[in-house]
Amino acid sequence: MDLIALQGWLDNASFAVLFAAMLLYWCGVAFPKATVLPSLGTAAMAVGNLTVAALLGARWIEGGYFPMSNLYESLFALTWGITAMHLVAERMSRSSLVGAVTAPIAMAIAAFATLTLPDTMQGSEPLVPALKSNWLMMHVSVMLLSYAALLVGALLAIAFLLVTRGQAVELKGSSVGTGGFRNVKLRRAEDAAEASTVMTMSTGGAAVLEKPATVTLSPQRLTLADTLDNISYRMIGLGFPLLTIGIIAGAVWANEAWGSYWSWDPKETWALITWLVFAAYLHARITKGWQGRRPAILAATGFVVVWVCYLGVNILGKGLHSYGWFF
Amino acid sequence: MAPSEAPQPTLWDGVRDYFRQDLLPLLADLRLAIVLLLAIAAFSISGTVIEQGQTLEFYQTNYPQDPALFGFLSWKVILTLGLDHVYRTWWFLALLIVFGASLTACTFTRQFPALGAAQKWKYYTQPRQFQKLALSAELSETDLASLSRRLNQRRYRVFQDGNQLYGRKGIVGRIGPIVVHASMLLILAGAILGAMTGFFAQEIVPSGETFQIRNIFDAGPWAEAQIPKDWSVRVNRFWIDYSPEGNIDQFYSDLSVLDRAGDEIDRKTIFVNQPLRHKGVTLYQADWGVAAVQVKLNNSPVLQLPMQQLENDGPRFWGTWLPTKPDMSEGVTLLASDLQGSVLIYDNAGQLISTVRKGMAAEVNGVRLSLVDVVGSTGLQIKADPGIPLVYGGFGLLMLGVIMSYVSHSQVWALAQEGTVYVGGRTNRAQVAFERELLALLEAVSADANEAELAEASVS
Repeated sequence: MDLIALQGWLDNASFAVLFAAMLLYWCGVAFPKATVLPSLGTAAMAVGNLTVAALLGARWIEGGYFPMSNLYESLFALTWGITAMHLVAERMSRSSLVGAVTAPIAMAIAAFATLTLPDTMQGSEPLVPALKSNWLMMHVSVMLLSYAALLVGALLAIAFLLVTRGQAVELKGSSVGTGGFRNVKLRRAEDAAEASTVMTMSTGGAAVLEKPATVTLSPQRLTLADTLDNISYRMIGLGFPLLTIGIIAGAVWANEAWGSYWSWDPKETWALITWLVFAAYLHARITKGWQGRRPAILAATGFVVVWVCYLGVNILGKGLHSYGWFF
Repeated sequence: MAPSEAPQPTLWDGVRDYFRQDLLPLLADLRLAIVLLLAIAAFSISGTVIEQGQTLEFYQTNYPQDPALFGFLSWKVILTLGLDHVYRTWWFLALLIVFGASLTACTFTRQFPALGAAQKWKYYTQPRQFQKLALSAELSETDLASLSRRLNQRRYRVFQDGNQLYGRKGIVGRIGPIVVHASMLLILAGAILGAMTGFFAQEIVPSGETFQIRNIFDAGPWAEAQIPKDWSVRVNRFWIDYSPEGNIDQFYSDLSVLDRAGDEIDRKTIFVNQPLRHKGVTLYQADWGVAAVQVKLNNSPVLQLPMQQLENDGPRFWGTWLPTKPDMSEGVTLLASDLQGSVLIYDNAGQLISTVRKGMAAEVNGVRLSLVDVVGSTGLQIKADPGIPLVYGGFGLLMLGVIMSYVSHSQVWALAQEGTVYVGGRTNRAQVAFERELLALLEAVSADANEAELAEASVS
């Protein structure tokens, strides 16, 4: 089997499938009644995920080394990570809005790798001596997975900002537990409107509610904005440990290979900056008076910071961390 | 005037009061923490944008005073603020120390109390207490036993006292952030210890020679004890493996550690990613060069001529000059660019005469010049860092801590009163997942009640 021809086919296919996923999700948002569209979108994302995985697998077999060592490979690895994290976030939130923001980014990265990168940068090349280590796999894969999780989290924060534009919001979910309490104003309004309402539960709930006279306590559900915000927080909460582990793996590797666990090289510094920005985000969520849209703005800033960390450093210069650039 | 009984406030009391009332709350303020995190990030960015550790001329050329970049960023500003070595300026280090102080203050004034509060939970004894929880409901026809069982199934730890019930899970989520903060302090402490007592050295050693570590280019103020004096290292052999295309595959140094008497006490072949460690000092394969060339002229014994690296941009070359007449009036220049065993021969006019490979000979100026070998030298990076155990300990704890911090601490309360069971709960992180879990729990408990009712009906 011709692995190189297969790769050429797979990278175009993954771009096409992700493009289809984006259209399906967007149509799903435009026509909320067509519930089949988001399901098809999910299927397309899953297919895209598998296509990219197959592409990377073919590379691994062809090149004989872990396929995350030049820009083309790492872009597809990132696409894989974003589609995987998208599926996690969608499962967590059960909201089709997730795909409306993640699919375009996954598609754009695949498009960039397939169409924009010159052919000379798409081929697989042997590793330089410094990268011949098992740490490469550990460090690079965890870093890319963390970028993917942080990007998806930041995208959801952007979606949250769009959904709540012009509103004052109170966040739920933080390490100290500021959420979880009833919104009293809302509660009173509800009581007035529906004095003898039934619990908002489906089956099995009916037997329970036989005291209509008094005000019955019923669960106050999360709104769409709450859900987006919380899933954004959980995805960043997932990406943050991955980023920490990735940076530490890189530091330990550097110390074992060159004798210095931290040398303030631009990529290292930007990984630290990313870590600090998301640490600030996590702390902003538990700060009195900073809840609402402010942490989400920080997370949206984090979106840019991750990109600078991932790509900007390549444009900046050479070094072990540079995958190269083409202008 | 009668002497006052109350002791005069001493300076120490003043300092303590200032610490408790002003400094500690300020340090523990989360807004300060956020500002510090973002400030460290911002100053770190400046270090990636402005070139670090260059010469004065470099900054003078690239950052002229007139016109200054953005109207203010001239070389004078850069050098005065230390923007040419951001990460070693006093103000950046001071920022890190304030950051450490903030971490410590926050741990003691916020995190430990929060953990204590989470452990000292209370039962809810009044129905109205459930009203403040967003996720609460009242159920009739059910009992706490079914709820307790269902909570256990979901891995809650359940406490029950008569008609009151409390369940919780994920308390590690409350411990995680404390571990994270403690590990950050450990890493900072390890970094400071390393900077104070560690050293860095570089040695370029020709294959076959013995050296002591002397070329130290960076050492902390208390590093003297780390620098080895009673042992030396011999480079038995240095070689490079080349791939079939002629690219470097890997470079190797066969090293022996010798004691004062010159006896071997340790031996290892090192390469990139595989250093040699001896008594807290680590030797890394970092660089290589061409040390010498071994040649024979006609039937002379083997002559070894040291080679010097030529100063040029682009590919590296090493060269030496070899006389071909006894009065030194004529000679050739030998150039080597790698250790693959070929040498270029140039005449005094700078014309390429010939290329000779190892074991081969070439005729120059009427003399037969045979190349015996090209001797490599290994470039070793040598360092000792006594802070490493602390830093690695901090790394381990930090990874553990951030993973623990992902867990959401969920709590469920229930109270059975006058035939009604009030159930409510909250969690600190995973609101969406918890909402789903609690609704499923309520549904399951109601289903249990229905089943029980049906069973009762069929019996009677």
